Amino acid sequence: MTELQNKIRELLEDHTVDLVIGWENGSLPLVSSPVFIKKAEDAGKVNFDVTCRNNLTTYLTKDRRQLGKDYQKIGIVVKGCDARSVVLYVTENQVKREKVFLIGVPCQGVLEKKKIFDICEGREVLEKRVEGENIIFKGHAFEIKVPFNDVLSDSCLGCRYPDAREFDAFIGTPRGELEKKDEFKVVDDFEKKTPEERWAYIKDEYSRCIRCYACRNVCPSCYCNECFVDHNDPQWIGKTPEVTDNIIFHLIRNLHLAGRCVDCGACVSACPVNLDLRIMNKKVEKEMKDRFNYTAGLDINEKPAMATYCENEKQDFIMG
Amino acid sequence: MYKFKIVYLPEFLEYLQEKYTLWAPAKSGTETEFKVISSFAEIDQSRLNTTLNPKEIFFPRREVLFSYDENGIKTPPPPEKPVAVWGLRTCDTRSIRMLDEVFSNAHQMPEKEMFKDPYWINKYADSLLISQACRQPLSTCFCNWFNSGPFDETGSDIFVIKGEVNYYLKGISDKGQEVLAGFAKAEQTDEKDAAEIKDLQAAAESYMSPALDISDLKSKLDKIWDDPLWEEIGAKCINCGACAYICPTCHCFDVSDEGKAGKGKRVRLWDACMFQLFTKEASGHNPRSNSLNRVRQRVMHKYNYFVDNYQKFLCTGCGRCVSVCPVNMDIREIIKKILAHEI
Repeated sequence: MTELQNKIRELLEDHTVDLVIGWENGSLPLVSSPVFIKKAEDAGKVNFDVTCRNNLTTYLTKDRRQLGKDYQKIGIVVKGCDARSVVLYVTENQVKREKVFLIGVPCQGVLEKKKIFDICEGREVLEKRVEGENIIFKGHAFEIKVPFNDVLSDSCLGCRYPDAREFDAFIGTPRGELEKKDEFKVVDDFEKKTPEERWAYIKDEYSRCIRCYACRNVCPSCYCNECFVDHNDPQWIGKTPEVTDNIIFHLIRNLHLAGRCVDCGACVSACPVNLDLRIMNKKVEKEMKDRFNYTAGLDINEKPAMATYCENEKQDFIMG
Repeated sequence: MYKFKIVYLPEFLEYLQEKYTLWAPAKSGTETEFKVISSFAEIDQSRLNTTLNPKEIFFPRREVLFSYDENGIKTPPPPEKPVAVWGLRTCDTRSIRMLDEVFSNAHQMPEKEMFKDPYWINKYADSLLISQACRQPLSTCFCNWFNSGPFDETGSDIFVIKGEVNYYLKGISDKGQEVLAGFAKAEQTDEKDAAEIKDLQAAAESYMSPALDISDLKSKLDKIWDDPLWEEIGAKCINCGACAYICPTCHCFDVSDEGKAGKGKRVRLWDACMFQLFTKEASGHNPRSNSLNRVRQRVMHKYNYFVDNYQKFLCTGCGRCVSVCPVNMDIREIIKKILAHEI
């Protein structure tokens, strides 16, 4: 048994928690699966590796809130970004801190399927193996060894806080805060384009959206009981996957995530048509940092940026 | 059976375009989907399965049923040419045939109870479905669970096998045979070709995992509607519509009015039973209010209710849902769990 599995077994045995949400190996080599462990003897199922893309804290909210009612205390395995989601929930009064037991793990980053697809030139990966700084992908009649960083998700490449900073138990050696000089490079580059180029890009990307709402549903911060797109009296937005309504959906989601997106990358990895869902979220994150020096999910005692007001905030949009 | 050299494909497709509007897999951003093709260069066959499914050809995600203004009501005109589809896989072709049973009620139902969907029929009528053998199926493919396989010709008008230098083409329907007979570059195959095809088929089938016997699935599902098993199966589902929207057989839709009193249109759009809104009633009551109910509905519709109505499963084992699900809800694992479940 790994240290993580042991800890989970212990927590269930001594009734510290009555449910643990973690990951187990998935049915495909590049995918892991969320798992709900209720019995100590099942703790051995839990695994944590580079395929654990999901932000499991999403199971604490939405219509899954019922989960919280059924259990006294829920244990949840958290990467750095996931722990920030819990902090966000606490500051937004969605989850009581004492109701959750956070099992922090040091995260090396998670794989992005699209990058692997490109590197393997579309051939199907049947096996993967991490070897030091490299990762090996094997399929029918091919084997490719690439530096780990080449196939990490963009969110992970830009991540400063790979360890859970808020936790009740930490399994493994923390990696510490990482120095990132260019975390907003993708936004800076995008801002350099002309408005026409930016508009064309956004239109092209979002025209492909099929409105399956996978991005919204995996997102820990999208927890409204009724999303504005589901409200139909009055109807806020056209229901069809048509480019203008797609853009309205995505841009409103972006704005609703102002000061709330932890850049966990769950939306990007959930999108079945591989839209660039990150660029606009990152832009809003950058604005929040510039204007309010606020980054979501870092301080459990800090009020959410959009729920507070301070006189010396930048107000150039009013003052000119 | 006919053959022509692989280099003659553009010519064959141009030949089809004389009579048909040609659809084929094409790039859509980083992904692929079926699109109307004007030139051969637009075709992208780099993937075994297109990301999005081909139901879109006859059942678009957004379809205007009619528009209205002060001059009256206008319905969309029927297409000028019938549709030919290049690059389908057998699983896709079989899916389209299933949807045809739903939309044009081709199954045995008393004539007076039939509803024929004009929007489907307009586009589907006289269409030519050309499916292509899968030489290297994916690990997510499970068409062999449904008495099919990588070289299954069922449902195709023309069945195509890509060899080393030739395309081999078999006319399955009369329509398909006629088209092939009219293509000047097509030659008859010989014994050597037959041997190559046989080898390719054996190689392709060796990539498939052994089929699971699902003959008891329907009768099992009949008995477990209120079984706690659904809790185990559905707990991790996040209720997005990714599986239903990339599924070639899911066909639930919604109808929405866009516009104002004087001018507007009525559109049909895809809907999915995974959404909370799907069954929400005007009173606010929702008979499928939680995630587990909705997961059960999707499984039941595919492997139980559809069997009642059409005597077949509403699934062809294309595996798209297996690969896109954000939380690894693998339908194959769900079926295995159901079959192994002791009642």
